[in-house]
Amino acid sequence: MTGSQTGWQRLSPRMLLVHPVHELIRELPLLIGGLVLGQTTGNQSWTVAVLALTAVVGVGRWVTTSYRIDADPESGQVQLRAGLLHRKVLSVPRNRIRSVQTDAPLLHRLLGLAVLRVSTGQEARAEHGFELNAVRVDEVPRLRAILLAESESPRPVEATTTEAAASSTVLARWQPSWLRYAPLSLSGLLTMGAAAGLIYQTGAVGPLQHSRLAESALQAAQRLGIAATVAVIAAVVLVASVLLAVLRSLLTYGNLVLSRRADVLHLRHGTLRLREHTYDMSRLRGGTLRQPLLVRIFGGAGLDAVMTGVHGAAESSVLLPPCPRATAESVLTGLVGDPNVVTGPLRGHGRRAAARRWTRALGLPVLIGVVLVVVMALSGTSVVPLWVWAAWVAVTAWCALLAVDRIGALGHRVDRNWLVMRGGSWERRRDCLATAGIIGWNVRQSPFQRRAGVATLVAATAAGTKRYPLIDVPEDQAWAVAAQASPWVADSIWAIR
Amino acid sequence: MISAAVSPCRFNPLRVGGILDGVDNREPSSALVGMVDPAHPPSRRAPLRWAIGGVVPWLLLAAGQAIWIGFDRRLLWLHVVIAVVTVLGGSISLAVVPLWRYRVHRWELGPQAVYTRTGWLVQERRIAPISRVQTVDTYRGPLDRLFGLANVTVTTASSAGAVHIAALDVAVADQLVVQLTDIAAIGTEDAT
Repeated sequence: MTGSQTGWQRLSPRMLLVHPVHELIRELPLLIGGLVLGQTTGNQSWTVAVLALTAVVGVGRWVTTSYRIDADPESGQVQLRAGLLHRKVLSVPRNRIRSVQTDAPLLHRLLGLAVLRVSTGQEARAEHGFELNAVRVDEVPRLRAILLAESESPRPVEATTTEAAASSTVLARWQPSWLRYAPLSLSGLLTMGAAAGLIYQTGAVGPLQHSRLAESALQAAQRLGIAATVAVIAAVVLVASVLLAVLRSLLTYGNLVLSRRADVLHLRHGTLRLREHTYDMSRLRGGTLRQPLLVRIFGGAGLDAVMTGVHGAAESSVLLPPCPRATAESVLTGLVGDPNVVTGPLRGHGRRAAARRWTRALGLPVLIGVVLVVVMALSGTSVVPLWVWAAWVAVTAWCALLAVDRIGALGHRVDRNWLVMRGGSWERRRDCLATAGIIGWNVRQSPFQRRAGVATLVAATAAGTKRYPLIDVPEDQAWAVAAQASPWVADSIWAIR
Repeated sequence: MISAAVSPCRFNPLRVGGILDGVDNREPSSALVGMVDPAHPPSRRAPLRWAIGGVVPWLLLAAGQAIWIGFDRRLLWLHVVIAVVTVLGGSISLAVVPLWRYRVHRWELGPQAVYTRTGWLVQERRIAPISRVQTVDTYRGPLDRLFGLANVTVTTASSAGAVHIAALDVAVADQLVVQLTDIAAIGTEDAT
């Protein structure tokens, strides 16, 4: 530890402005307590004391936090010392750094600061592991270059300066027209639900119930009647959710730029809060085209990266939000290098898989229909109103359409380098996996699948969502797919030719 | 690595990294039809261990029910229904499941991979390449120790790819762990 005492650096001194504000927000209950105490005792020094305390804690956080980067990219470490009362030192080996992200919330951005996060290949969960909160924005490119040195270093020195400007190709750029896909997601409704829950929890509902606003609303509802009231509320909720979804999409993904420089993928997005991700391409194991039903109907698709060290389900793996399908496909083709993988035809799973889709989609509706008929036969036609039958027909037709769509979607494509899997209707996805990244195969059969002669083939990888299932592959093809993708399966002692 | 960076291949497809490189360059051999099941069954004492492990929860349920009957005899039909369910569940988990499981469970360690078949109602075959193995764990619960059994779990970097080998004789398990750690040379690389 003798050499490690040198080179410790502080974070940006501008954090002295940010920390007290964040500290104030965090200690809001304490501050309110201080205010109340000040009011009741008539002695405002309580408030002053609380304010001073938060300021001191903020300064203390800055003083006690420092970081260092070892010079040697192979065996060196990046270390972070932090903590006002509980001291902790975080160390990350430099050769394990796989991606660097920056995040600039509004206050940081106004002050020209950014939070820098480092994630390693192994721990996808440690989102909040190593973060420098915060450094100056103009320092970020330098730090990023140092931290990702291993993936960028083997290039001629004189080329670096010219290349930095020239060879960075933009793969995709956000367009305002992408916003048309935003209302097609449920994010607006979810936001509203969360907001309603929050309001309910704070107890603001109680006083509202008896306010004049609520009473006049009730009177209006009584004048309109139930049907009209429901229609009005539904319309308001719909409009609000659309507006919220568009706003959220604009704030999160506005100004998105996805670019690539040699082996580094660079993503930046956000209108107010600016976020940047830098990914090491050698960690990329493929991509997923996501097409939720509504987005797909309007010709859109989103793109997720399948990458080791980046959690597959979280927002951090999103490369492109819902955008025109051609854009998402061309970007993925650029990353994968083989257009057939992204858009090529797939091999379907045959009659038995289709039959299973039908039974699964129509099983419940048919059962309900039988129950309805039995009820009618036992106790007369008048028991079941006509609208129930209309609803039943609509639901059954919807399920049938879903089954048809799912049958059409199901398929795979495999060669020595790529495994492509497609499935689903409501949430259709086309997973393109590099076969080199597949580190295990599971073949799973339920009793029904055994009877139908199909199996679920699961490709296990260390990247993305870790588990990529391909449902209802014909039994005799399941291992053939695995063997084509992974030579170690074909060459194993259990293979039958 | 250096050559890849120098060649100005912009749309360079993903670089294939890791230990499988050597095998990867060959032409795929003739089409595979299927896979032989792995060779080795679990320990002969495994069904007994599974039977006891499976029947204990049902016995607890039965005991709870006996106490309930002692205090309250009003809803007789409900008691009968629950008793029938308990007896049925208990006897299935005592007699059917362990034997079925014993017929399904198989494992084998090959020169390149470890391969298992597990389950009873839902059956699963798992194969993982030894070159990508990260850890080899042995677990012995109280019941396993009573019967001299051990469970071996082979994990890879994928949480979906772990291979579990249940209810082996302790000697077999120990030997398996030694073999696995010998071949795998764990820790030499990243294995993702």
